[in-house]
Amino acid sequence: MSGEHLDEELRDVFQEITNVAMGRAADLLARLLNNYVVLPIPVVNLMERAELNMALTSLEEFESVSAVCQGFVGSRIAGEALLIFNDTSFQDIAELTNFAGDITPQIELELLMDIANILIGACLKGLAEQLDVSFSQGQPVILGQHLALNDLVSGKAGRWTRALTIEIPYRLEGRNVDCDLLLLFTEDSLKVLEDKVSFMLE
Amino acid sequence: MSASRDDNLTEFHWLLEVLQTIDVGMLVVDLEFKVIAWNGFMENHSGIAPQDALGRHLFDVFPDIPQDWFEHKSRTVIQLKNRAFTTWEQRPYVFKFKNNRPITGTSEYMYQNCTFIPVTNTQGEVENLCVIVYDVTDVAVSKQELQKANVQLKELSRLDRLTELFNRGYWEEQLSQEFMRQQRSGNATSLVMFDIDHFKKVNDEHGHPAGDEVIRMVARVVRETIRASDIPGRYGGEEFAVILPDTQPEDAMQLAERLREHVEAQVVKTQGEDIQVTISLGVSGWNSGFSEYSEWIDSADQALYQSKQGGRNLVTLA
Repeated sequence: MSGEHLDEELRDVFQEITNVAMGRAADLLARLLNNYVVLPIPVVNLMERAELNMALTSLEEFESVSAVCQGFVGSRIAGEALLIFNDTSFQDIAELTNFAGDITPQIELELLMDIANILIGACLKGLAEQLDVSFSQGQPVILGQHLALNDLVSGKAGRWTRALTIEIPYRLEGRNVDCDLLLLFTEDSLKVLEDKVSFMLE
Repeated sequence: MSASRDDNLTEFHWLLEVLQTIDVGMLVVDLEFKVIAWNGFMENHSGIAPQDALGRHLFDVFPDIPQDWFEHKSRTVIQLKNRAFTTWEQRPYVFKFKNNRPITGTSEYMYQNCTFIPVTNTQGEVENLCVIVYDVTDVAVSKQELQKANVQLKELSRLDRLTELFNRGYWEEQLSQEFMRQQRSGNATSLVMFDIDHFKKVNDEHGHPAGDEVIRMVARVVRETIRASDIPGRYGGEEFAVILPDTQPEDAMQLAERLREHVEAQVVKTQGEDIQVTISLGVSGWNSGFSEYSEWIDSADQALYQSKQGGRNLVTLA
C-alpha cells in the first residue's frame, strides 16, 4: 500500500470487514430505534486531505449538519470516527426514541450523542474483533451543531496528508434519517492494517 | 502455591490502590442501580462516606442525578453491550460536584465528561455498569469564554465606533437581506434616509469635537425613537439610514416626522454656544420595480434631496 492507490485486493478486504462491522452497528441501531435500517454500502478509499470534501458526496444535499468526532487508538492503529448528521433527521429520530415535547438544541445534542455512541462504538468493536486488536476510544468531541458541510471539514487544522477512509452512509427505511459515518485511519496505521488483513488475502 | 497467592494479593492490593487514588471518578452500580463500588475521587468530591453510599440506591445517594435520563443511557449500554459517552456540552455534569478549584475557579460546579461501560461477568453477561467521570472544567470554561469573546468581537465588527449604530457595511448587508426577503414575501417595508442640515457649518464654527457630539445626539434620538425591529445604521459622515421591516410608507412617514421633531427639539451643550440642528429626510417604500437594493437607496436618497431642495428640516416620500 506504499503506492498512491489502494490495492484492489486490499480494498475488497476492507470492504468486507467493514460490511460485517457496520452490519452489527446497524443491528444495534435498529434495535434501539425499533426501525429497519437500510444496510449501506461502505466506500473504501485512500484519500488525500483535499479529497475529504469529495468523500462526503452523498451528503451534498444536506444544507445544515451536526457532527461528532471521536479518536481511537490501539495496536499501533490510530484514527478518528466522524459522524455527520443531517439536521433534518432530528424530528424523526426524536419520534423513534419517544422524545416528547420541543426539540431544543439540547435535545438534538442528546440524540446525536445517542446515535454516535451506538454507530461508532459498534463499528469500531466489529472492526477490532476482526482485526484481533482492541481500541481505546477517546472522549467524543462535538464539532458543531447546525453547520454548513463546508465549515465542518475545511479549515480544520491537522497535519495529516493521506488517510484510509471508510465511508458508511446510514439510512432508515421509511424515515427521513440520514447520517454518514466516516472512519479515517492515519497513514502510519496503513502498514499495520495491511499486515493484519494479509492473512485474509491468502 | 502460597507464595503465588501472596503475589496475587500484592498485585490486587496495588491495583486497588491505583484505582482508589487516580484523579478520575469511578463508580460501579448493579442492574438495580445500587452502588457497589467507587473510588477516592467520588468519595472526596461528593463528601459522602463510603458506608452511606455502598449498597444504597444511586439516586438516593446522588439525588441531583436526573433519574430518567440516567436510566435511559444505562439501558442502552446494558442491552446493547456498548459503551456510551456523554459530554459536558450535552449535560454540564452528571454528579453535582463543586469546582475542583474553589478559590480561583470561575465556575461553581465541576464540568464532567462521562463514559458508561458495561461490565460483563465470566459468561459474558452484563452484570454491572461502570461510570467513569472526567473533570473537564478548565476546557469547558475556556471554550465558553472563547465563544463569548467571539460573539462580542462579531458585535463590535458590526458597530460604528462613534454612534454605536450599525456601521455601513453591516447595515447594507441587512438591507440586502431584507431586500431578498421582500422579493419573496412582498410585504410592505420602508427605508428612511436622512442627513444633518448644514453639518459642515457646525464643524467649522464649533470644531470637530462639537460636531461629534451632534452626531452622537442624533444617533441617540434615532435609538430612542425607532422600534426594536427597526434596523438603524450610520450610512456616512452625517448621513443615517433606518430599515423599517413590515411598515407601510405612510407609517414610515410618521416615524420620520417624529425623528425630525425630536432632533429639532434637542440642544447640544458645548463649552461655547449651545448648538441646535435639523435633519432632512427621505422615505421610500419597497416596490417590486426595484431589481437591486441600491435602487431602493437611490429612491430614498432622491426624496432626501427633495427635502433639501424644499428648504431642509422636511420629510419627503419618494
